[in-house]
Amino acid sequence: MAGITDTPPTSAQLGAIANVRWQVFLHSLRFKRGALELFSWIVIGTIITGGGLGGAIVLGLGAWFSVSEGKPDGLALLLWPVFLFWQLFPVMATALSESIDASNLLRFPLTYRAYVLVRLAYGALDPATLLGSLWLVGIALGIGWARPGLFLWALAVLFAFAAVNMLLTQMIFAWVDRWLGQRRTREIFAVVFFLAMISLQLIGPMLSRYGDRSNAAFHRAGQFANPVQAVLPPGVAAAAISHMASGTTPPALALLGVLGLYGGAILRVLSVRLRAQYHGEHLSEVIGNAGLRKKSEGIGLGWSIPGLPREAAAVVEKEFHYLSRSGPVLLTFITPIVMMFVFGLGGRSGNAAGFLQNWPELALPVGSAYALLLLTNLIYNNLGPDGSGIQFFLVSPASFRDVMLGKNIAHMGVLAGELIALWIGVFLLFRAPAIETVLITLSGLLFAAPINLAAGNLLSLYSPKKTEFGTFGRQRASQTTVLTSFAIQILVFGLAAITLLIARYYKREWMAIVAFLGLAALAFILYRFALTRVDTIAARRREILTTELCK
Amino acid sequence: MPEPVHPAGGATPSSTSFAVVTDHLTRRFGDLVAVHDVNLRVAAGQFFGFLGPNGAGKSTTIKMLTGLLAPTSGQIEILGLDFSTQTTSVKRQIGVVPEGLALFGRLTGAEYLTFVGRMYGLDRETTAKRTAELLDFMQLANEPKKLVTDYSHGMQKKLALAAAVIHGPKILFLDEPFEGVDAIAAGTLKSMLQRMIAHGATIFLTSHVLEIVERLCSHVAIIHHGALVAQGSLAELRAGVEAQAAGGSEISAGSKLNLEEIFLRMVGGTRSAEQELSWLG
Repeated sequence: MAGITDTPPTSAQLGAIANVRWQVFLHSLRFKRGALELFSWIVIGTIITGGGLGGAIVLGLGAWFSVSEGKPDGLALLLWPVFLFWQLFPVMATALSESIDASNLLRFPLTYRAYVLVRLAYGALDPATLLGSLWLVGIALGIGWARPGLFLWALAVLFAFAAVNMLLTQMIFAWVDRWLGQRRTREIFAVVFFLAMISLQLIGPMLSRYGDRSNAAFHRAGQFANPVQAVLPPGVAAAAISHMASGTTPPALALLGVLGLYGGAILRVLSVRLRAQYHGEHLSEVIGNAGLRKKSEGIGLGWSIPGLPREAAAVVEKEFHYLSRSGPVLLTFITPIVMMFVFGLGGRSGNAAGFLQNWPELALPVGSAYALLLLTNLIYNNLGPDGSGIQFFLVSPASFRDVMLGKNIAHMGVLAGELIALWIGVFLLFRAPAIETVLITLSGLLFAAPINLAAGNLLSLYSPKKTEFGTFGRQRASQTTVLTSFAIQILVFGLAAITLLIARYYKREWMAIVAFLGLAALAFILYRFALTRVDTIAARRREILTTELCK
Repeated sequence: MPEPVHPAGGATPSSTSFAVVTDHLTRRFGDLVAVHDVNLRVAAGQFFGFLGPNGAGKSTTIKMLTGLLAPTSGQIEILGLDFSTQTTSVKRQIGVVPEGLALFGRLTGAEYLTFVGRMYGLDRETTAKRTAELLDFMQLANEPKKLVTDYSHGMQKKLALAAAVIHGPKILFLDEPFEGVDAIAAGTLKSMLQRMIAHGATIFLTSHVLEIVERLCSHVAIIHHGALVAQGSLAELRAGVEAQAAGGSEISAGSKLNLEEIFLRMVGGTRSAEQELSWLG
């Protein structure tokens, strides 16, 4: 057909995609919500840039010191933290990462090359990549300041190192998404990930507990680890700069080549996933059919909760079904208990990892606060996992008050379960928490929880964002929600800390209980007020709710 | 363009005999008037088809009739109740299958229907009984552990319809119920809808598939550019178009216009393709 080439030019397609993204961004600014999101992004971006520049200055000074002191090998000590941050931050701060649904692109005649380039371009917009790149620029400037002749070489090596990091992040996420795409692999992955996290956390307490013996073991491990780190990307990059600094060009060039090989190898592994996606891979959730071809044997009765309207009870039941089917969400629920065991395993006095052994009375309140903090991920966007189910809430006769009440009760049920588990943990690790501690913890939660629930209910209506419970990484929360959540946590934890400090100063713990109960009464009034408003707000914002959640 | 046609007999029944009444219903999106001054009359017990070209205002209208969208102006009366003031009472008596199906993907079919039944205020025993019957009728009972997100599109449509009827609504609103559904699933859906009509319910559906509308619906309304251009029984619409064409040679004597022809004449959708898109093929 006239006007159509067999292979559309990649540059034109990439230009079209960039143009569409830009137009979508511009159109989003037409709405108040889009402008609010932009404002939140600017605030968060400023914080990230501040951290990036601060880190770049510190790392730059470190690089300058290392090279000017004639110890360029020490650059590995700077490159390793950058490397670890680059790989771990996207996992920990999923709310700040941009996601891409590749399936939308595949209906166009996009070449594989163009597809890969689009994926990589999205990766380059990740905050971890931006921060990591900024820090590497700082290191390069530090090296150039100490030895101007080394600047261009350092820039080339660090550029290759940055490319390796970016590709590795993409590769990790591509494979993690693959493992999380199916229930069976998701469960295996969740267990492995959980064990890995626990193992990492256990290193500190173990080293502390076994004292000198562990120091000796640590030294032995160090002797083994040093050659290993030297052949990994941060070590290779540091060695490439170090060799050039000492005038031995051939090994320096060879090491740069090794970085290139790393990049190539990672790209190769990444391309296995990208090719599968490019060819229209569909990962089904379906378990083996054999186990399913069994006709339903009677339908169970729905939940009935005394004192609760049946609509709210139905929502509580639905929320528990949802929560129980999400491995990643369940992991976040048990994290506070695991962390308490980690920090409670002990260590010598003054060691951070064993601080709960020194102050066991803090275990319950700190663990509870941490549990509530993790729960805010759900509380602040409680309609997100419902997706197009929001339409049902809008057309059904049930009030949003009951819907939100049901969700809040389900989340508080989770918190109550965690509190009981934490109490048992404290009892097993140390001793039964003092009644005073339990009362302070409960009264503190009675103050903090209603405020978070009230804010969560309102933000869920004002700033909804569709989320998927079954997915682990790269789900963007609304930036407005992220920012507001920060502000509320600062307020709540600040007030709680001041209350506790005053009570401690006067050595009268009961003062904290009384103060928390007073604040709890105010918080509960606020919660009730917010709950009475949700029906009006939902009716007013029904278009935004359906637009955002039915995407 | 023909004037709006009204139900046979010309008499204006009292509004309580109508299941759905809209008066001057209007919806604007900024400068765009998506629905303009629509006066719908759907009698109780009718199988009512709501037609229009893409972007004509069908979905906007059905969203306003079901509470998913607020009208800019005008009145909606469902079963004699004012929707704006008696919202909950109206919602208890209607069932809806919206465009997005309104499903909860991480529940099983049985859990979803149980949830919906409870949200409509049914007691636990009734909910469980109806859930089992609906799953069986819709042929969804064979895979009890399968999550809704894993259902095929046809299965999801059947489940959405089951959820819309679990509380025994007096009116059922369906937005494109047959879109993307295979013949077997469509047969199940039609059979369910015909049962409801036989039991005195009113069904209001939008569809692009004019053959299905012609076969199922007793009455039809056509919306174009946000305005209602016709409503009435098929015979009334046909008579209206024929009257407009009277004296002309457009309709050959003895031939009977089908719904597609009536629709195209009303919305002016005929276009000669001969002079356009010459590069195609």
